Amino acid sequence: MAKKTGVFICSGCGIGESLDVDALVKVAAKECKAPVCKTNGFLCGKEGVELIKQDIAAGELDCVLVVGCSNRVNYEAFDFGPSVVVERVNIREQVAWSQQPNDEDTQAMAEDYIRMYMAKAKTVEAPEPYIAENLSKTIMVVGGGLAGMTAAIEAAKANYQVLLVEKEAALGGWLNKVYKLAPVKAPHTELEDTNLEARIAEINDNPNIKVYTSAVIEKTAGGPGLFDVTIKQNGNEIIERAGAIVLATGAVPYNPEKLGHLGFGMSPNVITQSMFEEIAKKGTITRPSDGKEVKKIAFIQCAGSRDQEHLPYCSAACCIESIKQSLYLKEQDPEAQAYVFYKDIRSSGQYEHFYKKAQMAGVMFIKGDVTDVSEGDEGTLVIEADDLLMGDKTMADEIDLIVLANGMVPTTAFEEGVYMGLGAVAAVTEGAGEAAASCDAPAVPPATIIKSNILNLQYRQGPELPDLKYGFPDSHYICFPYETRRTGIYAAGSVRRPMDMGQSVGDGVGAALKAIQCVELTEQGAAVHPRALDISFPDFQLTRCTQCKRCTDECPFGAINEDEKGNPLINPTRCRRCSTCMGACPERIISFKNYSVPMIGNMLKAFEVPEEDEEKPRILIFACENDAIPAIDMAGISRLQLNAWIRIIPVRCLGSLSLVWINDAMSRGVDGVLLLGCKHGDDYQCHFMKGSELAEIRLSKVSETLDRLGLESERVQARTVSIMDYEVIPKMLAEFMEKIEELGPNPMKGF
Amino acid sequence: MVNNTILVVGGGISGLTTAIEASEVGCEVILVEKNAYLGGKVTQINQYFPKLCPPNCGLEINFKRIKNNPKIKCYTMAEVENISGQEGDFDVTIKINPRYVNENCTACGKCAEACPVERSNDFNYGLDKTKAIYLPHEFAFPAKYVIDPKACAGSGCTKCADVCQYGAIEPAMEAKTVTIKVGSVVWATGWNPYDASKISCYGFGVYPNVISNVMMERMAAVNGPTKGKIVRPSDGKEIKNIAFIQCAGSRDENHIHACSSVCCMASLKQVTYVREQYPDAKIAVYYIDIRARGKHEDFYVKVQNEMNAVFIKGKAGEIKEDPATNDLIVIAEDQINQVLTEEKYDLVVLATGMQPATALSKVPAAMSYDEDGFLASDPASPGIYGAGCVSKPADVAAAVQDATAAALRAIQSVRRRNNG
Amino acid sequence: MVDNKISSAPIKYDNTFAKEIYSLENGHYVKMCMQCGMCAVSCATRQIMDYSPRRLFNLIRAGKKEEFMRSNTMWMCTTCCMCKVRCPRGIPLVDVMHDLKALALKQGYVEYPQAAFYQAMWAEAFGRGRVFEGGIMARFYLKRGWNEIKKALGMKDLGMEMLKHGRMPIVPPRKIKGLKSLQQIIQRAQSLQEKEAK
Repeated sequence: MAKKTGVFICSGCGIGESLDVDALVKVAAKECKAPVCKTNGFLCGKEGVELIKQDIAAGELDCVLVVGCSNRVNYEAFDFGPSVVVERVNIREQVAWSQQPNDEDTQAMAEDYIRMYMAKAKTVEAPEPYIAENLSKTIMVVGGGLAGMTAAIEAAKANYQVLLVEKEAALGGWLNKVYKLAPVKAPHTELEDTNLEARIAEINDNPNIKVYTSAVIEKTAGGPGLFDVTIKQNGNEIIERAGAIVLATGAVPYNPEKLGHLGFGMSPNVITQSMFEEIAKKGTITRPSDGKEVKKIAFIQCAGSRDQEHLPYCSAACCIESIKQSLYLKEQDPEAQAYVFYKDIRSSGQYEHFYKKAQMAGVMFIKGDVTDVSEGDEGTLVIEADDLLMGDKTMADEIDLIVLANGMVPTTAFEEGVYMGLGAVAAVTEGAGEAAASCDAPAVPPATIIKSNILNLQYRQGPELPDLKYGFPDSHYICFPYETRRTGIYAAGSVRRPMDMGQSVGDGVGAALKAIQCVELTEQGAAVHPRALDISFPDFQLTRCTQCKRCTDECPFGAINEDEKGNPLINPTRCRRCSTCMGACPERIISFKNYSVPMIGNMLKAFEVPEEDEEKPRILIFACENDAIPAIDMAGISRLQLNAWIRIIPVRCLGSLSLVWINDAMSRGVDGVLLLGCKHGDDYQCHFMKGSELAEIRLSKVSETLDRLGLESERVQARTVSIMDYEVIPKMLAEFMEKIEELGPNPMKGF
Repeated sequence: MVNNTILVVGGGISGLTTAIEASEVGCEVILVEKNAYLGGKVTQINQYFPKLCPPNCGLEINFKRIKNNPKIKCYTMAEVENISGQEGDFDVTIKINPRYVNENCTACGKCAEACPVERSNDFNYGLDKTKAIYLPHEFAFPAKYVIDPKACAGSGCTKCADVCQYGAIEPAMEAKTVTIKVGSVVWATGWNPYDASKISCYGFGVYPNVISNVMMERMAAVNGPTKGKIVRPSDGKEIKNIAFIQCAGSRDENHIHACSSVCCMASLKQVTYVREQYPDAKIAVYYIDIRARGKHEDFYVKVQNEMNAVFIKGKAGEIKEDPATNDLIVIAEDQINQVLTEEKYDLVVLATGMQPATALSKVPAAMSYDEDGFLASDPASPGIYGAGCVSKPADVAAAVQDATAAALRAIQSVRRRNNG
Repeated sequence: MVDNKISSAPIKYDNTFAKEIYSLENGHYVKMCMQCGMCAVSCATRQIMDYSPRRLFNLIRAGKKEEFMRSNTMWMCTTCCMCKVRCPRGIPLVDVMHDLKALALKQGYVEYPQAAFYQAMWAEAFGRGRVFEGGIMARFYLKRGWNEIKKALGMKDLGMEMLKHGRMPIVPPRKIKGLKSLQQIIQRAQSLQEKEAK
């Protein structure tokens, strides 16, 4: 616990012109009894920083309150090493720049912030990392296809031990079936060898890589640094410890049996892309029906993909694959004819060169909808189509072979062999319903987990990575494509999202880096993204636990299991420090050294709530520190006027919102509480998936309590704020204030 | 002695990612950025597709990761002039251009209030102006002002220095050169929008109401020149008819040969910007192929179903202007209906493609490039790797993926040398 | 533009004709067309072409030889080069059009007046080594028949004016020196061209 807190108030940047700094000093020194309180006109300057340093040296301060600008700026200037806790009290952007200068309410706000942060300083402690024992830095790669082999090789090249687990007898996955690869390097026009033998040799020759083939994973227990993986191989069970996991089990072709409307099943000469690869790999491209050399071939693109009845998504690789396959035939016989029926040719990026190559070879591309596939004479096939660019009905006959570009489905989308990816319903985790009932709280919608029998995670929240959409366990974030909801497990390649071979290679490398990063940070007891390097972790006072299971239900990362008695069993290395569990716990037994329910509770009890007759209402704002707080800062930077009655408390995530804070605030006479968090729903922007959504669900519960107390539930509201909403915030506050004024003052004032 | 430091050149989303990801593995990283701020092109983007979320949200997280991580050292306004030596032992010369504002700057903004001269705001592609001393944008990281020496009134004027209470203005600041030693290099200087004025039949730069997609991003952004309102540059009027023209420079033997891979999705996204502001506007998209790959298809379907936009299969061939009204006439062949169309629009947005920065400014080392100037994937110089849009046209997710992979390559590079 | 619709039966793809075109000197460029339609818009005579070059290429690829031969597209080409300059696939459309015209002439598809004019012009140039306007006109009208001659007579006033101002000589110019050699050169070039195309 911080014992000696020094307060340093900056009067620069207009603070001194807007506020009575001497009065602030009085609040800090007299009222809050700060042992040291000094002011400076340029605190972030050399002299100002020196001032703080001297006092740290002389007075053995272990906590410094820098009262001035936002912690978004000048972070380097106020770094005094790990032994000194620095709290930044933002009276620049949030007070001096966004409130009436030299106004008593502005002054009151700044004084309150000093009180609040002094209260915080009393509770805050420097965190110490959780260092687990017997940590492994081994990277386990599941799936020995292109992405998996790449991840294994690349991790090994960076000097990590690698376990590569493949369910088939041989490595290679999809590459085993493929004749050649589409170009992955300049000039992007030449077919490339799969180099499968060389890749496998590289793996076998690398002493850092241990390969398990014909092996499946029975179960995966533990967490980052401590994954205990039971591998079943030839009837034997082997347990290996791994630090992080790359999931690279790839995708499989969409079931062609469902493509009867395109002739599959009608004739043996209607085949899929993978069947065509096998034919090409064998040598001469011939018709399956009679072995006649193929002279005329047609590819039907989007066979299944981009089709609401089948796969609503685009499978991303099929255009390139068909271009490649048409070139196989052209390679065999330049006079052979190849048609490609397409919706859009998606040879994105440098694959445009490859598209041109096929055009040059004489492959004919037809933008059209295939309306019928039928049998012609002597084993040939006939395609009828609407040629959109001809504006007419067209037909192609005497076709020897039709290849359906039947798209891809991730291996994680199947449950007992059944494709679940389409509109898969959330698998209800065992006990979740019961837990919700026992706690008298609205149920949290659980993440969809398809029991695809790949990792068999021993996680209370389900055995596999949560599905994002269509069965792909992808990241939801554009700027963080490797964000994962199961810490230390990174999906790579076509299991993650539809992708082509070139992308799979890159993805394998990227996922390997993330896995490596995870084992390194875990070794230091630090969190991975987005709170990277954070060494705080949640402490559970289990003696007071009522086994309500809220924390285990709500943890977005599945970090908490249960023991036999139903007590939460935290896996600290899985924890991402979002503090959702802290907010979820009705008994308030979960806290971090530097972030806790009492800490925020003390802050909200520290500001003054004027008597009713003073007509100075108080609005307490809990704002997400990732988006809402910067947005409020931006309002200040843009010199927008904010409401004078607000008091803002930043939170790690709205998911950490404890209802007791609202109760405490209301019973102090605070007139309204506003939660500012990130957008939720399908396109959620919360960095911890569901924080703001959970907070709102909790709110619906508190409203009943408020009603019982005779307080209007509208006094507590949640709003969605993005980082760019700073122009909107003043209006939002004004509207909320209007509502509060309508309701009148909180009758609890003065009790 | 092998140097384990990794140099990352370019502080856009790719460079930032490589730098942060490598540093979180434990490596020392030096990040060099040409601009006065980090974040590169994505800072100028209003929303990412398909989530329609603001880039500043992810950047804020990334900047926080930098702030918390002493292993990353950033140089802004800096350019790499020379790389010599070899993998594990490179000598790199970095030129740091003068900001004319030192570390004392608190970003209080007094200087800009006092500054008497204006400059065209390149952050907003010239659509508005800033003072000669300016903060590049609200979210600028580092949050320090900078003086544009070309616009500054010079030694005769000391107005900014006079009002600055922190001694932050240094008119005498000069460019300096530093030499550092690093083990490996990741080149992530990104891309530039293709110069649309080279596509003469579209009249960009001549007709005021023909804008590029990057300009559209600025116009739609709340911190942009119009505070987020999409209007005609010629007269500030609201939009009734708008056209998006795909492949303005991409997939073109006369311009960028490759497909830029992002413009289709970018235009679909911009359709949603327009629709949100103008529920009744007529929106048309002229295209060759709509390349909404993978799960992005969902977004394409959504735009088709909900945005009431017309998709015209046919590359726009020519744009003419009515000089009296500055209205634009787009001529194209509507290939589905087999007719030539001439439609009038208030505003035309060119989906100008991505040109790799390396097309104009090469890596100062022996590297190989493809026909458009993208770095070839097999490095001619071991220890130097491309990341992001210098390697291939990529959207943000793909660039970040590539940059993450580049971080591992750079780490392997230094570790390999350590072993050897 | 006209409708492609020739009959109610679906158009059958047949690459025999396409192969014939691909074997012309610049014919293979037709393969590179990605159907963007830039040429359709760039063309100076786009309003009077029945098929845009893009559609013409589509006809070739589908194998619709008759429709192709009956179209006016290549004859309307004024070789202004705009399409060639703008084509994103870098197809030298003007050169392709030249080859297409030559093919049509060779195979006797000469009903467009432009075809007769080209032939007349060429015969003049080949036979004399230089061009005599009167000669071209005479050849042109003889080729086109009585109806065209009637039309030409309707333009007699214009003709008189041109004669008066010396814009149209009555007396043919002399043949150039070494005409034989020129003709040999041309013939040689033609045979080379044919050989190379194959």
